[in-house]
Amino acid sequence: MSEIIIDPVTRIEGHSRISIQLDEQGQVVDAHFHVTQFRGFERICQGRPFHEMPSLMARICGICPVSHLIASAKACEEVMAVSIPPVAVRLRRVMNLAQIVQSHALSFFHLSSPDLLLGFDADAAGRNFFGVAEAAPQLALDGVAMRKFGQQIIERLGGKRVHPGWIVPGGVSRPLAAEQRDEILAGVPDALERIRRTLGWYKANVARWVDEASAFANFPTLYMGLVHENGNIGYSDGDMRVVDGNGRLLADHRDPRPYWEYLGESVEPWSYLKSTYWKEFGYPDGLYRVGPLARLNVVDRLGTPEADDELQLYRDRLGRYPASSFYYHHARLIEILHCIHSIAENLSDPGILDDRVRAVAEPNRPEGVGVSEAPRGTLLHHYRVDENGSVQWANLIIATGHNNMAMNRGVLEVARKYVRGTQIPEGMLNRVEAVIRCFDPCLSCSTHAIGEMPLKVQLLGADGRVLDELAR
Amino acid sequence: MTKASLATVWLDGCSGCHMSFLDMDGRLLDIAGRANLVYSPLVDIKEFPRNVDVTLVEGAVSNEDDLEKIKMVRSRTRILVSLGDCAVTSNVPGLRNPYGPAPLLQRAYIENVTINPQLPGPLVPALLAESRPVHKIVDVDVFLPGCPPSADQIFWVVDELLAGRIPDTATMSRFGT
Amino acid sequence: MPDDIGGDLVSVRTLVIDGLDVAGNDDQTILEVARENSIPIPTLCHLDGISDVGACRLCVVEVAGSNKLLAACVTTVQEGMSVITNSPRLHEYRRTTIEMLFMERNHVCSVCVANNHCELQRLAKQLGLTHFDLPPLEPIVEVDASHERFVIDHNRCILCTRCVRICDEIEGAHTWDIFDRGTGCRVITDMGTPWGESTTCTSCGKCVQVCPTGALFEKGRSVAEAKPRRRFIPYLRELEQESK
Repeated sequence: MSEIIIDPVTRIEGHSRISIQLDEQGQVVDAHFHVTQFRGFERICQGRPFHEMPSLMARICGICPVSHLIASAKACEEVMAVSIPPVAVRLRRVMNLAQIVQSHALSFFHLSSPDLLLGFDADAAGRNFFGVAEAAPQLALDGVAMRKFGQQIIERLGGKRVHPGWIVPGGVSRPLAAEQRDEILAGVPDALERIRRTLGWYKANVARWVDEASAFANFPTLYMGLVHENGNIGYSDGDMRVVDGNGRLLADHRDPRPYWEYLGESVEPWSYLKSTYWKEFGYPDGLYRVGPLARLNVVDRLGTPEADDELQLYRDRLGRYPASSFYYHHARLIEILHCIHSIAENLSDPGILDDRVRAVAEPNRPEGVGVSEAPRGTLLHHYRVDENGSVQWANLIIATGHNNMAMNRGVLEVARKYVRGTQIPEGMLNRVEAVIRCFDPCLSCSTHAIGEMPLKVQLLGADGRVLDELAR
Repeated sequence: MTKASLATVWLDGCSGCHMSFLDMDGRLLDIAGRANLVYSPLVDIKEFPRNVDVTLVEGAVSNEDDLEKIKMVRSRTRILVSLGDCAVTSNVPGLRNPYGPAPLLQRAYIENVTINPQLPGPLVPALLAESRPVHKIVDVDVFLPGCPPSADQIFWVVDELLAGRIPDTATMSRFGT
Repeated sequence: MPDDIGGDLVSVRTLVIDGLDVAGNDDQTILEVARENSIPIPTLCHLDGISDVGACRLCVVEVAGSNKLLAACVTTVQEGMSVITNSPRLHEYRRTTIEMLFMERNHVCSVCVANNHCELQRLAKQLGLTHFDLPPLEPIVEVDASHERFVIDHNRCILCTRCVRICDEIEGAHTWDIFDRGTGCRVITDMGTPWGESTTCTSCGKCVQVCPTGALFEKGRSVAEAKPRRRFIPYLRELEQESK
């Protein structure tokens, strides 16, 4: 038996390593995705007044603090036993949509496009966003602009791009001004032009990635996501729907909040990231995915015409329930398109400037669960609060955590296809990492901590001798 | 004229400071014209190179891997910048310090678990007794507080450093904002 | 000049502050006279309208003839005094004072209710503090949320005692007082009972309004939402004095 360690995984958010175990014939027998950091938000919040929770929980992640702000605020609102004003629901929705745009743009352009444009085997020194900027300037500029579009909306609504404290228990802390709304709407046509151009580029180049598309975590799983009553995508609201690879419904119109009824969490000693599984099928059979690929599988439609057209094209080409995780990339682009349209639609609501934006209450229930779709998938915050409003306990189930089992299987699958014998081409290593990039994991979120490390790969023979070594 | 070498590293943080760095938007490509990004979570160089001119470090030093990494980074960097409150004061990761790591691990891996409760290890790095700011482990040349510091502030600091000046951040940024 | 010219009259003292010739009454402090002459001295435990106690030591000044630094808020002006309010030594002492306040308890500005409205945070910026070298104490201290409307988070308390003084001198309830010493020192309600069980507290909220940090705050405030209102204090003090 020998082992390869890929350390660190780059161009993802957070800290991780990959280990690959081979037998005497050099065939891969197992592989693992180790998440190597942990901060303990489920405990450090204990004793805090619950009104502080959203902004505290925002610090779980600098890419998707908005997701945590929303899920946390919703959990607090359950404790308060309030329904927040409709305009606050809508305003939060706009911020969430903007967050999805910027986060998906980051994932696609900054993190993954180097592989897609320059090739998985391209020289590692230039295989990054700056390499993309040189080789395809328009693509890079579009990426920067799309991310900026999303971030500026967050800033206009909440005062800051990262960790805006505007989302609070009870609603939001101030209403939207007409000038801000108009500024955001003025940026929509440009944003649409850019995503259309990117989608066009992607679809024109799919033939280049056929091999990877067939190999990257391409196996049937369950899919989970929030869906509105009418079958449209839910994002910050909606009920849970779960389907299998053939479209069979395992749950529909289901209240996602009592998650302990349908989800279990397991610990593996080799990772700080817990594995969540669909309880009905047990562990480890209860494998499921969340995030863009899963969402597009569970919803009937997105809810805006142009994006639904793209969704139909996607389904025509890939089938109704595409299983390869490679298609997360395509799903992400379609979601960006939909989110931009949805932002414009929501901001055009006549009530969007209403100034009753916040409900006020103290604890009226001892417990609350808040659920929302982060860019990477379904996010749940669960708190227990005493009668004085002090948090007693918390449990968080984070988007990327749902995907842990699928990522591990994905790594094994890709390793099996591309890793063999005593030679380790660098592009092979990159492909093992690239399957992780499809999921766009947020590892700070998932273990409520992050980190980073260098990469050194050693192939050790059964006697411990170094057979081959690669460092980058 | 050779371009300067710039690196970014994240330790125990949330990546918000890196996002704020990217919030420079177009100015990022401008920086890329003046410096090579020789190591970063955003690029695929896996070994931290020697003789790096400027390294921006985000995040507190919270586990054994962070500790090893920051020492190595310091030994290969000319100017080290503590970027953001986690690196400067340990901020939110430091909230665990009065209690130590044990109650956190207990809550996450024993209590909030359906099956197989256990503490992860040894293939993942152990938590240090306390989460520490970077300058408690290695010398730091520039401090930029903020949670996160704004893109304008980060750009200004990088711009000054690439121009060969050590920026005085004393009255520029405040903790928490 | 004679020190007293009979019963009700006050006497004027002349002195020098930072090389400037100034004058004050014999019952005025260096801080008051400095402020009258637009000479800034940083303070934390001082608050216009309540008594001064010299607790925070931020307003220390150099006075010729003394090798000790004196707190300007509790030192009466004397004839012929020569005062320096700003020097490298004073700057360093003030920075160290603020640093010690931060390191004594657990101040995490980013997730604090007083973020952006905090006098401690503002002083750190004003004095150019970018990081802390002193070792942190990181004590485990309490959060008392038993009151219906207010919370005290001792993690953020700097023992300035403004709450004690405002409650005693303006509201007259004397709910707040000081208990123990050193690192065990706390501000307490009544005889150390939870605030929600206090029999003296009138829930007026003045203590919350005068707290310089995020230690005392209203329930329902999220991070960065504490916005103290203090304009009432000098008026109450004036009314109180007029009625005498």
